Amino acid sequence: MEEDGSNSNRRTSSRTRKVASKMVAALASSDNRTQAALARLDALENDNTGFELPDPNIDDDEASLDDDDQVFMQRKQSKGTKRKTRQAKALEARKAPRTFLELLHDANLESLPPHVPTYWKAAVGPPSSTARRHFCTVCGFSANYTCVRCGMRFCSIRCQNVHNDTRCLKFVA
Amino acid sequence: MSTSRQVVVVDNGGGLIKAGFGGEREPSAIVPNCLHKPVASKKWVHPNPLNTPGSAEEDLTSASVRRPMDRGYLINPDLQREIWSHLFTSILRINPSESSLLLTEPLFSLPSIQHSLDELVFEDFNFTSLYVADSPSLVHLYETSRSPTGLLSKAQCSLVVDCGFSFTHASPVFQNLTLNYAVKRIDLGGKALTNYLKELISFRSVNVMDETFIIDHVKENLCFVSLDLPTHLNIATKTGNHNLFRSTYVLPDGVTHTKGFVKYPPQPNTYLPEAKDQILPQQHHNNTHKLDLTKNEFDLTNERFLVPEMIFRPADLGMNQAGLPDCIVRAVNACHPHLHPVLYESIILTGGSTLFPHFAERLEKELRPLVPDDYDVRITTQEDPLLGVWRGGSLLASSPDFDSMCVTKAEYEELGSARCRKRFFH
Repeated sequence: MEEDGSNSNRRTSSRTRKVASKMVAALASSDNRTQAALARLDALENDNTGFELPDPNIDDDEASLDDDDQVFMQRKQSKGTKRKTRQAKALEARKAPRTFLELLHDANLESLPPHVPTYWKAAVGPPSSTARRHFCTVCGFSANYTCVRCGMRFCSIRCQNVHNDTRCLKFVA
Repeated sequence: MSTSRQVVVVDNGGGLIKAGFGGEREPSAIVPNCLHKPVASKKWVHPNPLNTPGSAEEDLTSASVRRPMDRGYLINPDLQREIWSHLFTSILRINPSESSLLLTEPLFSLPSIQHSLDELVFEDFNFTSLYVADSPSLVHLYETSRSPTGLLSKAQCSLVVDCGFSFTHASPVFQNLTLNYAVKRIDLGGKALTNYLKELISFRSVNVMDETFIIDHVKENLCFVSLDLPTHLNIATKTGNHNLFRSTYVLPDGVTHTKGFVKYPPQPNTYLPEAKDQILPQQHHNNTHKLDLTKNEFDLTNERFLVPEMIFRPADLGMNQAGLPDCIVRAVNACHPHLHPVLYESIILTGGSTLFPHFAERLEKELRPLVPDDYDVRITTQEDPLLGVWRGGSLLASSPDFDSMCVTKAEYEELGSARCRKRFFH
């Protein structure tokens, strides 16, 4: 709390300040929240949830061993100044199967004339009028309350307690 | 067929590859389009085809997966090559250099992806010729051939709603051509639904984040589309025997059973309004159980219908996209007004995610208020939504002028990928 230190002689009650700081935090986190929501949506497209595989080409052990050796050797010789061998480059290029979003970015669809239908234009677009329904993140029933810290929804005090104990701020922190 | 060459038809979906020979009714193989690695093994292995008995015995507990497709599009051609070569040599037993290929491709594929696909087909596998089709037109072709006198064939247009593994498309088809300027897409499919269900179960009862295949099975067996959400939610809050939706799923234990199963098979169907009265009294007998902690099992209640619900309202998930009924209306509105009444009358549902019970009823219920009163809404479900696209492809491959529509290897070598693509009109 650096605020307390800097303006300690300001005459405001501690209570209002407390609420205000919480509100400020909540408001500031709105961007975090959208990011968390997007990350969550992204996670829905994962094949193996929780973690992505460290090395997708792990099945050819020899190749990856080679690569490790090379990296090791390079590090021993000099840091970063040594240029990579052609083989190492090829391995590196092969290592990363690119995601669709990267490919989409590379395709540069925005540069096409506006009448050409593209992937972006085929997206259905935002919902028309109906408001979003909220379901309790704990039990699934319709939720009337929002967590002030992370913005997730819950329906009752019981669910709020579960929420606070388990995953409040998990996505936002 | 005019030539002796055989045509291999491959519907290369994000979830399942449907592969077989042109002119046949059933595909020879339905294989998951992935490699998986069971916990016990160090190697990535090919999954067994779903239509052979071998697939039932695989132990897929905690298996991790690699898929060549991301969001429905091919991103890892190396992996796809591996899967295809297994498919062509060990399952279909064909020689690619003596056959032509009919391949489906998602709409709006990127040039770079098309290029790598062409490379795969002609340079790695040496197919003699290739035809790339888009799935909506194949579905339309199949449905028109089934009822030559129906409205579908007379009007020569339909609205194909393909709710698959990676995404959902509503695409108007007119005279066997997909009107690509009117296609609308929702970025939600079976994969996202499975992952969502995984998330819910993991938070509420057992951690199943690694069990993609098991949760797929749970989704296929227990999920359904609610026709009346508030009422169903109310019923789901009840405890004990009054909760018609509670059903128990037993996870595999690896010893006595390697597949999970639904504990009381009649239980999942109690949501059906007509079955309610008959099953209620019987439930009092067998439903006095508590959760058996010696077995790994979990109860599902509202998850069963809240998961498929997301296709109808992706906004509930935090997605800034309209639901399926809106999607259909927007796709139709993007077409010429003369087509509107016919399109609403010839909606065809296809794709694996339409297999949820009551999907079509719910869609009709939500669509009706959005459509002008003087238009009829008629939704046709395919008799096998998984295979509809493949059967259309098989039909097209057996048509007499199929050979003339293909791009041959010689043409590809002469003109390159981009020029050849212009021939496919999409």
